[in-house]
Amino acid sequence: MTATVLSATLLGVTGQPVAVEVHAGVGLPGFSIVGSPDANCREARDRVRAAILSSGLNWPNRRITVNLAPSGVRKAGAGLDLAIAVALLVADDQLPPDAVERFAFVGELGLDGSLRGLPGVAPMVACRSDRIVVVPADAHEQATAIGAVDVRCASTLRDVVDALAGAPWPDPPPPADRDDAPALPDLADVRGQPEARLALELAAAGGHHLLLVGPPGAGKTMLAQRLPGLLPALDPVAALEATMVHSAAGVSVVGGGVVRLPTFRAPHHSSSMISLIGGGTTTLRPGEVSLAHGGVLFMDELGEFPAHVLDALRQPLEEGVVRVSRATATAVLPARFQMVAATNPCPCGGGRPGDCECDLTARLKYLRRISGPFLDRFDLRVSVSAPTADELLGRESGEPTAVVRDRVLAAREIAMSRSGKLNAALSGDDLERWAPLSHAAETVARREFEANRLTGRGLHRVRRVARTLADLAGGHELIGEDELVLSLQLRVSFGASARVRVP
Amino acid sequence: MSDGLPPEAYAAALAGFELMTLRRLAALLRHHTPAEAFEVAAGRAAPTPHGAVAKVLDAEGVRHAWSRSARRYEPAAMWERCAELDVRVLVAGSDDYPDLFRVDAQPPPVVFARGDLGLLDGRRVAVVGTRNATAAGRHLARTFGRGLAAAGVQVVSGLARGIDGQAHAGAFDALDAERPAPPAHPLDPAAVPTVGRPVAVVASGHDVVYPKEHHRLWYRVADDGLLLSEWPPGSLPLPYRFPQRNRLVAALSEIVVVVESRETGGSLITAQLAAERGIPVMAAPGSQLTRAALGVNALLRDGSAPVLDVDDVLVALGLDHRRASATVPDDRVPPRPGDLAAYRVLTRRAGTVGEVAEAVDVPLVEAAMSLARLEQQGWIAQVDGWFEAVGSPFSCR
Repeated sequence: MTATVLSATLLGVTGQPVAVEVHAGVGLPGFSIVGSPDANCREARDRVRAAILSSGLNWPNRRITVNLAPSGVRKAGAGLDLAIAVALLVADDQLPPDAVERFAFVGELGLDGSLRGLPGVAPMVACRSDRIVVVPADAHEQATAIGAVDVRCASTLRDVVDALAGAPWPDPPPPADRDDAPALPDLADVRGQPEARLALELAAAGGHHLLLVGPPGAGKTMLAQRLPGLLPALDPVAALEATMVHSAAGVSVVGGGVVRLPTFRAPHHSSSMISLIGGGTTTLRPGEVSLAHGGVLFMDELGEFPAHVLDALRQPLEEGVVRVSRATATAVLPARFQMVAATNPCPCGGGRPGDCECDLTARLKYLRRISGPFLDRFDLRVSVSAPTADELLGRESGEPTAVVRDRVLAAREIAMSRSGKLNAALSGDDLERWAPLSHAAETVARREFEANRLTGRGLHRVRRVARTLADLAGGHELIGEDELVLSLQLRVSFGASARVRVP
Repeated sequence: MSDGLPPEAYAAALAGFELMTLRRLAALLRHHTPAEAFEVAAGRAAPTPHGAVAKVLDAEGVRHAWSRSARRYEPAAMWERCAELDVRVLVAGSDDYPDLFRVDAQPPPVVFARGDLGLLDGRRVAVVGTRNATAAGRHLARTFGRGLAAAGVQVVSGLARGIDGQAHAGAFDALDAERPAPPAHPLDPAAVPTVGRPVAVVASGHDVVYPKEHHRLWYRVADDGLLLSEWPPGSLPLPYRFPQRNRLVAALSEIVVVVESRETGGSLITAQLAAERGIPVMAAPGSQLTRAALGVNALLRDGSAPVLDVDDVLVALGLDHRRASATVPDDRVPPRPGDLAAYRVLTRRAGTVGEVAEAVDVPLVEAAMSLARLEQQGWIAQVDGWFEAVGSPFSCR
């Protein structure tokens, strides 16, 4: 008469256990679903009925009530279809109750009884690690990506019923070829631009956020695309989190279900805040910042992003997570990313001093679109100029990614073994301890301070970059004058155009 | 008139009228007394039949615009506002109207002045240039302003962004650097040269500071120099007013020095207007690679005299330049031999650290160190990540 089958639903990037209870009793034939289903979930009624009939099973002519427990949690999507169908068959005595006890079911049903994958299988499976989880065959890779959970797969409802009745479970589909990941763009393609290359190397080695300022065609996007290639593979924890995010967002992962390499996300500046930060649907879908978790978030035309969108980035930049709250639910989404941003120096695109078409007001207005506190997050701010014809046509290619990457990995190793974190994360106290300034460097810092060109916070930023420079050079303890000077020049104060100071 | 207002009050109000041009204002004031002219323009009195004023009033939209303006510009309120701002109203033909304007081909019918009109009796040189100046250009303009003022020359300009403002600021540098007045020569007190002051001609009312960031500079010119405008208080800096303003800059100067200018621009208009008046134009040459130097280089090609330092201007003025040049010594520490290569790259064209490193073919760190030293010593300046050589080039000395 009644049956309970376990399943899960999705909220943010975590699965929520759900028990599907079915009661098939006397009364006028009917089928209703209760327990806060959303519109899509309520449509399960029609899908389940059609699927059961198409699978050659009997549709019980009884009054059927499905309850999704806990009833207070909003259930979204079609992931409960399979569990509802199985529970219904148990309630109608077409399956023995003890056959489903050890299992949990996740999957969407087609009208012909086929099983379909859906976003968020990985987190949903993860929250049911105490059971054997049955998933659609095309979601098998996602489900097994997280490991540690016993997973079965099937491609039709009939297969599931047969297997539960004692037949062997179907074989999982062969895993996708792992080697088909497209090669990342190589740094050797970048001609000239030594300081932009160095800035990229520093960003990779120290985890510093990078701002590239330059006219159109200077190669800002090209440079940014080469950052993921310089970064190490994700550590297991980050890889798991990133995998969950990708699964929850329904974004396919190249070369297998696990996100192993840093991702590169480049949202357009017209992107809405929801698409960037996350939320929007009942399941609170992760946004671009979460998809960039462990990787690179590239924001081209930074000044064109609406101010409120940029301000919303402050929390993830600060805490590495996004807390998305809605009236009915709250989700914490991982969002620890490295930010690379690009912007033109002014509306006309600018370039060399004196070349700009815009007047000073227009220039300042353009740069002021990016708020001071936001601009301050960038440890590295570099001017990029368009390469000359000689550089473009020259046969000499730059250092390839593989060479630079070795240096980056060595420097990261030094930083991690010294302080246990990347240099970009060093606090003021850490800097005193791990990045002492040489006497000459201190003189430079004092001079910049007295000339009002450096603030206290600015000095911290510069020191972090100087620490990374020293790490790239082998990790000597004392920060030298040259390292500090170069760091200063890699953190340009844009928009500080000379105003007339009246004596 | 029964209200006891001076004629200047009516002229001041008229100058602010919509659709008022130089020619129309001149015609009004030539054919009528200011008070009458105001009544005629307001449509409350009839002009001389078939006269120039009648023709102006028949032009499209004028009658309507002027009667509207007459309600907005009350002569009494205008007069009060001018007094409040300490602005004098000079009407063509009056006793205090500057002679320099009297002899000009296009004299301003009404001028609003604040400051010392006596400055116009001294030596006067205009320093003008582009608003989109390079750091090197701004530096040069400031040096010129300082050097000219130190030699007792009034620095005439337009208080615009970039070159203009820097020239004025340079004049104040000289004023502030002036040693406490030396004891006057017992026989000839005039032998001690006084420091020149800035004279600015602006394209808006005295109380409409444009550009805003020149607020302090604007009022200091009005207090310690001379601030002139053809428009009454409250007038906005409308685009057509700038070329007209440039004509006065030219008319007030004995020499016009153009520091940086693009292929087209206001400073070239000033140069043109100066040439039409027989006033010599001098130009500071620049690299043909820099856009901000295209206009000055064209002036040089067309026969303007080149100006490399302040002495060139002083010589052209016929002043004793030896004394003047001593007041602006170049006290910069010479660059280190190792930094010269980087410096030379920048004397040709502005560049970033990376470009300098590539041009000199040294590692980035070395280039950065060289640039930091050169900047510290004052040979180069950095704006938005671009380095430029500023001041007189090292190799010239």
